[in-house]
Amino acid sequence: MILLQSHSRFLLQTLLNRVHNLEKAVEVDYNWVEFDDVRYHVQVSMKNPHLFLLSVSLPIPSADTVFCGGLPSGAIEAIKAAYGILVQILDPPRDGFNLTLKLNLSKLPLDEDNRHTILVKVASIREVVLGAPLRGILKQLGSRVVASDVNKLVALVHRPKESFFLVPQAEKVTVVFPMRFKDSIDIALATSFLQEFVEARRTAGLNNAPPCSWSLSPPQELKGAPSDALSANAGFVTFVIFTRHVEGKRVDRVIWSLSTFHAYVSYHVKCSEGFMHTRMRRRVESLIQALDRAKPDAIETRRKTHSRSFKRLVGDGNAG
Amino acid sequence: MDPAASRPAVVIDNGTGYTKMGFAGNVEPCFIVPSVVAVNESFLNQSRNSSKANWLAQHNAGVMADLDFFIGDEALAKSRSSSTYNLSYPIRNGQVYNWDAMERFWQQCIFNYLRCDPEDHYFLLTESPLTAPESREYTGEIMFETFNVPGLYIAVNSVLALAAGYTTSKCEMTGVVVDVGDGATHVVPVADGYVIGSSIKSVPIAGKDVTLFVQQLMKERGENVPPEDSFEVARKVKEMYCYTCSDIVKEFNKHDKEPGKYLKHWKGIKPKTGAPYSCDIGYERFLGPEVFFNPEIYSSEFTTPLPAVIDRCIQSAPIDTRRALYKNIVLSGGSTMFKDFHRRLQRDLKKIVDARILASEARLGGEIKSHPVEVNVVSHPIQRFAVWFGGSVLASTPEFFAACHTKAEYEEYGASICRTNPVFKGMY
Repeated sequence: MILLQSHSRFLLQTLLNRVHNLEKAVEVDYNWVEFDDVRYHVQVSMKNPHLFLLSVSLPIPSADTVFCGGLPSGAIEAIKAAYGILVQILDPPRDGFNLTLKLNLSKLPLDEDNRHTILVKVASIREVVLGAPLRGILKQLGSRVVASDVNKLVALVHRPKESFFLVPQAEKVTVVFPMRFKDSIDIALATSFLQEFVEARRTAGLNNAPPCSWSLSPPQELKGAPSDALSANAGFVTFVIFTRHVEGKRVDRVIWSLSTFHAYVSYHVKCSEGFMHTRMRRRVESLIQALDRAKPDAIETRRKTHSRSFKRLVGDGNAG
Repeated sequence: MDPAASRPAVVIDNGTGYTKMGFAGNVEPCFIVPSVVAVNESFLNQSRNSSKANWLAQHNAGVMADLDFFIGDEALAKSRSSSTYNLSYPIRNGQVYNWDAMERFWQQCIFNYLRCDPEDHYFLLTESPLTAPESREYTGEIMFETFNVPGLYIAVNSVLALAAGYTTSKCEMTGVVVDVGDGATHVVPVADGYVIGSSIKSVPIAGKDVTLFVQQLMKERGENVPPEDSFEVARKVKEMYCYTCSDIVKEFNKHDKEPGKYLKHWKGIKPKTGAPYSCDIGYERFLGPEVFFNPEIYSSEFTTPLPAVIDRCIQSAPIDTRRALYKNIVLSGGSTMFKDFHRRLQRDLKKIVDARILASEARLGGEIKSHPVEVNVVSHPIQRFAVWFGGSVLASTPEFFAACHTKAEYEEYGASICRTNPVFKGMY
């Protein structure tokens, strides 16, 4: 697995399970947490087995990001556009969550393929809700509408109390990620990973990918940002998204990749640590093997001297 | 307060056959997947000096060799459809056998299945009561070094199985756990939550042996099953059709009289040619689970039936715990799921105990009557993931976070902190 999938595997599994056994009433009550502190809760009651209650809580935004009504701007419209009549937004949401959706499973399309597509879409609720503001900005870029707030810095939440920044312009959008890690080893690995990442962008096959750069100091674009956003222990990554990157279907992948970029880097940092451990274990094994190869001789010689002295002792005894 | 403590802990129970994983506080694990890893070895074993070329080859193929692996059902599907993937089973007989595969397995569990950030959650892992402290250290090392978990608790699976009954009935932490998994069978006496280490008995017959036995029976009868698929078919047959009988001879008679009622059919598709086939399932339905009660039908090396092992285990425990142990015999593990398994176990065990009481009364000349010993085998519907459920209950208590080994402790003292286990304190 190189990229993180956009749908929650467990949510999709639960939904499919429900849909396949719709007539069998089962109590479902489940809580779980995903990376970047996105929490889910699903509930199905015995009485209404076709009603599926899905609650989502989002990471707590930092001071510079605005949530209206507990959701990122444009989220409600995005949900309506994505799911149509299938869902109903409950107001107020479940206690401790930002959003509660009521899914009516009996309204699903009957066609197997269509149904699966829409369930995958429901399982990607996180992309729809958290990516809504990003989608708005990228749509503007795609339709080449020059918005009024050109060149103004926009902060979007992607981790608890952390944001990434966008500068929308007429024909491009600049995205800046301040990268922060807790562990000192992680910082070192992430720094070199990001440098390699920028380097890899220059290889021949990737000419059309968004240009990206990495710097340890905050880039020009972050001039107007609050001071706590300017400290990042693993540097800043900047992507420039052009109109050609957001044409048609591509925009979905761009949104998902951008809104989970930090999770992507941290996943690969963990993987490289795992890979290094494998290498280290293999090295230790080969060293132990070398030691083992040296061992038998030493034991044998000792045994030889031992037996000789023993024999001599016996001989002495006989002589005496 | 530690922000990680406000999130539910991740509970992963790695069994020989299946791994159960999920978040604490729930009643069911999120995923139950076979503990197997499929690795693409074609890029990994190339020599060092061609590493640049190797990198280019990987780039052109669109893969990253060290990330090109799958776990669980996906792994089984991949290895069947293409020959570049090799299966490896990281756990054998309840012990971690291949740490590289294990680390990869955990990596996928965390990032692909549970999709959580390991830095955000406390972790509860399980181990068998006979795990060496070194292997516990290894686990700690991987968890703290690779995944940076804030806290780790390695629990003994039989204690968790006992704790699983905790909420369903009264709070009873004394009992014998009969844990029959896929790769290992242990009989573990626990008194007041402490494992009586010297009385643990293991049986070299487990779920996999039942599968092998079923496979052997079907092969000997000449059923039309493709050889490359026969183990999987035997496993499915075991999981779907096997049951425990009360008496073999009677059961044979029943099957012979009414084959229509007892005979089942299996339909499958040959993996190579795609042609459909079908086969009959007969005596193996009850002979499979019978290997626990009459092991001599399967192997000549080990011939002590499971009830006798349990009896020996309790007899070797301290005398003041024995009655309580007989009273609470808890089943756990997937291979105890056979229909009526607990009834048969209880009946056979009761027979042994009653015979002993009769003998001792005869020896004493009938002057002194002893209290009858209560034998009780407890069975509950969540037996299959009882260990996981116990872990989920344990990890959702507020005391859990204080009992964990933390990252700070690990950095201060090293992996040796994982050697000691609160349950075993004083043993090592």
